[in-house]
Amino acid sequence: MQRIPVTQRPDLAQAASEHGFGYKTGDGMIGWDETAYYQFTLRQVEDDLEGPAEQLEGLCFDVVARAVDDEAVLRRLGIPEPFWGYIADSWRNGEKNLYGRMDLSYDGEGPAKLLEYNADTPTALYETAVFQWEWLERAMELGLIPDGCDQFNDVHESIVQSFPLLGIEGLSHFACNQNIEDDKGTLDYLEECAREAGLETQPLAMEDIGIDDQGRFTDLDDNVIATLIKLYPWEWIMDEEFGRNVPASGVRFVEPPWKAILSNKGLLPLMWEMFEGHPNLLPAYFDGDPAADALGGTYVRKPLLSRQGANIEIVRDGKTEFKNDGPYGAEACILQGFHPLPDHGGHYPLIGCWLVASKAVGMCIREDRTLVTGTDARVVPHVILD
Amino acid sequence: MKRWNSISVAMLMGVSLIALSACEEPQVDASVFESLKQCYDDPAMSDDECKISYKEAQDQHTAVAPKYASQADCQADFGMGKCEQAPYRTSSGGSVFMPLMMGYMMGSMIGGRRSMMSQPLYRSAGSRNSFRTADNRNVGSKTGRTQVARSAASRPSFKSSTIRRGGFGASGGRFGSAAT
Repeated sequence: MQRIPVTQRPDLAQAASEHGFGYKTGDGMIGWDETAYYQFTLRQVEDDLEGPAEQLEGLCFDVVARAVDDEAVLRRLGIPEPFWGYIADSWRNGEKNLYGRMDLSYDGEGPAKLLEYNADTPTALYETAVFQWEWLERAMELGLIPDGCDQFNDVHESIVQSFPLLGIEGLSHFACNQNIEDDKGTLDYLEECAREAGLETQPLAMEDIGIDDQGRFTDLDDNVIATLIKLYPWEWIMDEEFGRNVPASGVRFVEPPWKAILSNKGLLPLMWEMFEGHPNLLPAYFDGDPAADALGGTYVRKPLLSRQGANIEIVRDGKTEFKNDGPYGAEACILQGFHPLPDHGGHYPLIGCWLVASKAVGMCIREDRTLVTGTDARVVPHVILD
Repeated sequence: MKRWNSISVAMLMGVSLIALSACEEPQVDASVFESLKQCYDDPAMSDDECKISYKEAQDQHTAVAPKYASQADCQADFGMGKCEQAPYRTSSGGSVFMPLMMGYMMGSMIGGRRSMMSQPLYRSAGSRNSFRTADNRNVGSKTGRTQVARSAASRPSFKSSTIRRGGFGASGGRFGSAAT
């Protein structure tokens, strides 16, 4: 695994605007950086990332299977009690999952370590699936990178192929927060994939969802919502006013309710408790658990529900070394063993391995200038070349 | 090894995709009748077929027809005397209005099975000549055997009357992006 500086495409600004991305002159595309790329060997991708990610997915399912039968676990995760039965039913009924992104710390050697699982509302999807692939083709065409480069990237095809397997009938509504442009972009792309797969779709803002007198959810045309493909976290849905109507609404959700167990950072201590010593796991404990003493004062503290690196704190020998601000942390936290991202000249790459229908089908690398990957991170493309 | 080769990037760009679907939406075979009698009179149809499809459409009518809280609002969209009261009330006791079913559409026979479920059709006050599905898709004015856009042949969604909106979205306002 090497970081290789490269000339950016002369027509990047145009490509960005064609794809609807924001672009700042001098600063390049927002959230994207192609002045460098990461090169992997096929063995590194297949043995150290693709294989382990699928194995970790299996362990995650073991955690869900345990959690739905154990109220103590659901309580620890901070999942509101009125949803326990609903989440358990969604798992027992085999409601299908579409996608997720595992964030891994990996330096090219030794086992990749799972830092967290964005199992409910993963983003950087379009950058991974489309823009990164387009870069590969164009960069080879322009001779910026060697001929014969490949990419771990089957994401688009896999999503299109997975939609029909979800068993959705009739109209599907695609909903996110109306004012967040990035979220809308990701959801629009997902909706295009669904249409390509032959589904009927309708975009909708979460704010515009209505309710009828029988507790069913409706869109702006008063259609009763049957399937809601949401880019809106389960913990927010459960917390909001209409949340209490969700279990009896009859709506089929993608991602399914049981993903609330996996997108919670409490997943990490639960995995460690069940599979302690697994090569792809870091030791992790709920904050306040005396067993956390095993970390010896060096760890990363993460609120159960934080997003985009917010409120993450790195503690070394009992002292705070780094801390991101943010609105989270009123909930409980976990402590995870400190396994720093590799340092490539002050760039810290975090590998996001995409799972579609639980198969590892591609990756993106997000780079930040700090050890905690936050909102300033940019997607940097990768190649496979032996 | 991981080639993504089945689509071109141009296909992914929203604009071109939407333009494509508007111009070239595939057509499917269907039969449209304004009454059970009109179906009986069609030599291509058996009486049983007519009866079963009509019932299928009629059974859905109450669930899928657009709903209104007042007779006037319904008539504004569908015309004077073209609305009826739904056979239920809101939980607070209010009446619900919906347009009269003005016809029905059934799929063609493929291998002894209907290609789609039958569904009720309506006529809006603005375009009296054409039929529309419960999801407001144009089916055209032709009766008997015809072709309709594939989207018009899809199963209509249930309609309700919304009593309130805005119960979702507060956390997004507080925390910002849902991205992880």
